[in-house]
Amino acid sequence: MKILIAEDEIALQESIVKFLQRDGHVCEVATDFTEANYKVSLYEYDIVVLDINLVNGSGIDVLRTIKQRKAKTGVIIISANNSLDNKLEGLDLGADDYITKPFHLTELNARIKAVIRRGRFNGSSDIIFNEIRINTEARQTYINNIKIQLTKKEYELLIYFIVNKNRALSKNVIAEHLWGDSIDLSDNFDFIYVHINNLRKKMTKVAANYIKTVYGIGYRFTEE
Amino acid sequence: MMISLVVLYFLTNYLINKETEEDLHTITYQLERLIENNLTVNSIEPLIGITETTESQTNKIKDTLIFDPSQNEVELFRELTTYKNINSKNYKITARTLVVESQDILIAIFLSYIGILLFSFLIQFFVNKKSSEQIWKPFVNNLETLKKFSLHSNQKLHFEKTDVLEFTELAEELESLTNKVKSDYENLKQFTEDVSHELQTPLAIIQAKIGNLIDEDSINEKQFQLLSDVQQNILRITLLNKKLALLTKIENKQFKSLKQINITKKLKKSIVTFQEQTLHNIEVGELTDIEIYLDIMLSKIIIDNLLTNAIKYTLEGGTIKVSTTTNAIVIANSGQEAIKHPEKLYDRFYRESTTKKSLGLGLAIVKKICDAHNFKINYSFIEGFHIFKIQFKN
Repeated sequence: MKILIAEDEIALQESIVKFLQRDGHVCEVATDFTEANYKVSLYEYDIVVLDINLVNGSGIDVLRTIKQRKAKTGVIIISANNSLDNKLEGLDLGADDYITKPFHLTELNARIKAVIRRGRFNGSSDIIFNEIRINTEARQTYINNIKIQLTKKEYELLIYFIVNKNRALSKNVIAEHLWGDSIDLSDNFDFIYVHINNLRKKMTKVAANYIKTVYGIGYRFTEE
Repeated sequence: MMISLVVLYFLTNYLINKETEEDLHTITYQLERLIENNLTVNSIEPLIGITETTESQTNKIKDTLIFDPSQNEVELFRELTTYKNINSKNYKITARTLVVESQDILIAIFLSYIGILLFSFLIQFFVNKKSSEQIWKPFVNNLETLKKFSLHSNQKLHFEKTDVLEFTELAEELESLTNKVKSDYENLKQFTEDVSHELQTPLAIIQAKIGNLIDEDSINEKQFQLLSDVQQNILRITLLNKKLALLTKIENKQFKSLKQINITKKLKKSIVTFQEQTLHNIEVGELTDIEIYLDIMLSKIIIDNLLTNAIKYTLEGGTIKVSTTTNAIVIANSGQEAIKHPEKLYDRFYRESTTKKSLGLGLAIVKKICDAHNFKINYSFIEGFHIFKIQFKN
């Protein structure tokens, strides 16, 4: 996928690029409004990761430019502002998602992949990992083509694992993904273990084995 | 007043007496002239009496009481008796005149005095009232303007200026004061927003860098543990930041979209979410629907904070109980002993125990929301349970 990162904080921009490149995405960057607006009006991107507060301009205007071109570009807004108004304005103008600073790169990655899946790229909305197949439209999970029943959290957990495969995910990163704003029990994420255990039990032995414990404080979804 | 009344009385009395005497002298003189001219003058009792007499005395003047048949009462007369030799005859000429009784004078004076007083008092009263209304009007108006003063309205206050120097000064001072208060408040608000806003970006960078580090395959267990701890504390700062901003927002009364909501429904939803996040058992008791007027976000915050609090302070193997009555939510969690300083329970950053990694803001926020909406929050410790009860209506 071709992704534009419009972010004026170079350090953050570099981190995002480094992270996404590892998944094989082609990343371009824009460090201010002018550059961002110029690039989106000239080139076509699959995804634009757009900071609202750019130097010398607003990301909202870049979003307008993208929408004027009627491009298929998916847009994920990054904002330091947690205000609801801002969020609604962005989504109203056709942004696909909204993420507030600070965020985990794995979270951004999951959001990007969700936007890609949402079908605008003629691609499949299925997530496939070996024998596991998740139909995200019907919200159904199959292992070896046999349907398995997952709770909402187990389902979200499995998707998060697969889109961030081969990456170590600490418990609090997983908790923040699953419960977002209502996460407040910052001293104890042991309950994550319960959900992961339940998920493992519902999967086949081989599939369950993909979820590996990392040093007792995190997990990694991997084939190795 | 009294003195002037007395003086006036004596003065009038004196003047009347003098005038009466002069009058009597004139009459006597006239009578003498008549007698001199050999005209017969008859006595007209009781006013004039002329008799020939042999005795000769000095003139004397005196008061005398004579029955007046026309009035059918005894009247006071002033009497001048003159002995005069006219045409070698001795005459005793008595002239009398009715005296205005001093009591009458007194009453007259008193009545007219009262009348004047009353009249001037009334005039004064109305004139004063009118003029003070006129003078105080801007003051009263300014007071009304001041009462309507709100930090949250964008309108500048305008105070009326008048000719009265003090009021004008007051109005000017009030204007500059309210403007100052407003701008200070704006600055403070801006500062709070800026801080919470500006912190986000460096936090995001730290978060991302840690993400990059963890993403490298070469990290070992110890490093992963450390990075995970850093992540947790970034989350803590983020939450702290968010909650402080929220608390400020509540204090500034920036949540204005009141809606009728079924808070019991919200409670049920939150219980499901929280049960997923804890190993403790949440026992759900009787849930009666409660309809209240509240901002949706705030209703969720009240419930979530109380549940979070209950979950955090429940010991392993403990229980959390949730129920509602027709007007109250009750959230209880098992504990060993009552809180030592219940009066500090709702203070910011007050923590009963230091072992728990709590932000110490949850209950402060709940309390603020309750205060702002006249809900009553109450803590008690009964039979091994910390019980928080929020009463919505009386």
